[in-house]
Amino acid sequence: MNCAEFWNEMPELAAGGGLQNEHEHEHLKQCPQCAGLIEQQRRLASGLRIMAHDWRAVAAPPRVEANLIEAFRNQMTPAGPRLARMRMLPVFSLAAVAAAVLAVAVWVAPRRPVAPPAAHHAPAAQVELASLADDGSDDDGFIPLPNAERVGPNDDVHVVRMELPRSAMLVVGLDVSPERVSERVEAEVMLGPDGLARAVRFADEPGTY
Amino acid sequence: MKAIRQETDEDLLIRLRRGDEAAFLALYRKRQAALYRFALQMSGSAGVAEDITQEVFLALLRGECGFNPERGSLSGYLFGIARKLALRQMERGRVDVPLESDAEDAALPELAVSDDTLADLTHREGIEALRRAVAALPRRYREVVVLCDLEEVDYADAAAALGCPIGTVRSRLHRARALLLEKLNKERPKPVGSFKPVRCAI
Repeated sequence: MNCAEFWNEMPELAAGGGLQNEHEHEHLKQCPQCAGLIEQQRRLASGLRIMAHDWRAVAAPPRVEANLIEAFRNQMTPAGPRLARMRMLPVFSLAAVAAAVLAVAVWVAPRRPVAPPAAHHAPAAQVELASLADDGSDDDGFIPLPNAERVGPNDDVHVVRMELPRSAMLVVGLDVSPERVSERVEAEVMLGPDGLARAVRFADEPGTY
Repeated sequence: MKAIRQETDEDLLIRLRRGDEAAFLALYRKRQAALYRFALQMSGSAGVAEDITQEVFLALLRGECGFNPERGSLSGYLFGIARKLALRQMERGRVDVPLESDAEDAALPELAVSDDTLADLTHREGIEALRRAVAALPRRYREVVVLCDLEEVDYADAAAALGCPIGTVRSRLHRARALLLEKLNKERPKPVGSFKPVRCAI
């Protein structure tokens, strides 16, 4: 066994496991450098175990559990979702109108390909978590439109800039204050290869909706 | 006497999806601390770690992430979500830990021997130095050390969380430990002549 073969087994050795076989013992007898290094690795592993032990007391604060229990009850109890749906009814109606406006705007607006400028990101709660299960791409600020097909990595897309009613933000889950719903806001709409809108990003700074 | 079978994460998840609050609570209490610590090590911010922990379980609650038991354990899967969320936060610049420097990859340490460089790792100062060294690792090495060495996640779950093959986990761990040794060696003042880098000749 040479040094390279010996160190192929390093993670297990350093994690505190014993030497696997007689060849490894033999190698350490013949190679003081590897013997010295394995001793360093063992001390490091020992230090990491102490550090891990110290870490064990660290946990999320109790308010996280309280928030999650509340979220669980809202989601799971029969009354919760119904009440939530009733409360959300006007918002959904407005969002449906906004979606229609957005779709029409994409067709009637003059299409001007633009270089993607800096734009805000969706709030963390709005991050499309389905993408988290895959090896996701970088967040470029575009928010996928509900029910639109996902843009593939090799799809030919176009970005057009246009003005939209601020209420269009509701479609992608952004909060809009009621008094500003009728205002207009500049946005970039990503069109898929079939010309249909796939995602949108708004040029507004966060917090000014 | 009949042995009491410990419920697995997957058992708890099935009950959770049927609306069993106790199962959700049990799963949360079983996994939250490790996820929080992982997020804390990755982000360097308690606030961000708290948000990430909460978001991981909200995602599970909403059933939006498509957990597939055939692709790995729930634990590895939850760490994977926490990692993705931490990376997003890092991209947005909301974290305290510096992002990795590719230059560090090119400067991996040679095999080196020191008589007692790490002798004080069992002392408080040594552990503090080790903590700083872990925090200063490039992200891809820090995450594997935190998962495998500090949280004792097995290689298969770590591979699922990191989205890479098990062999990659092993090699990153190897490099990460070498980097830690190098950082600790640098930090410790050495008497002249007591340390001489050498290459193995056998």
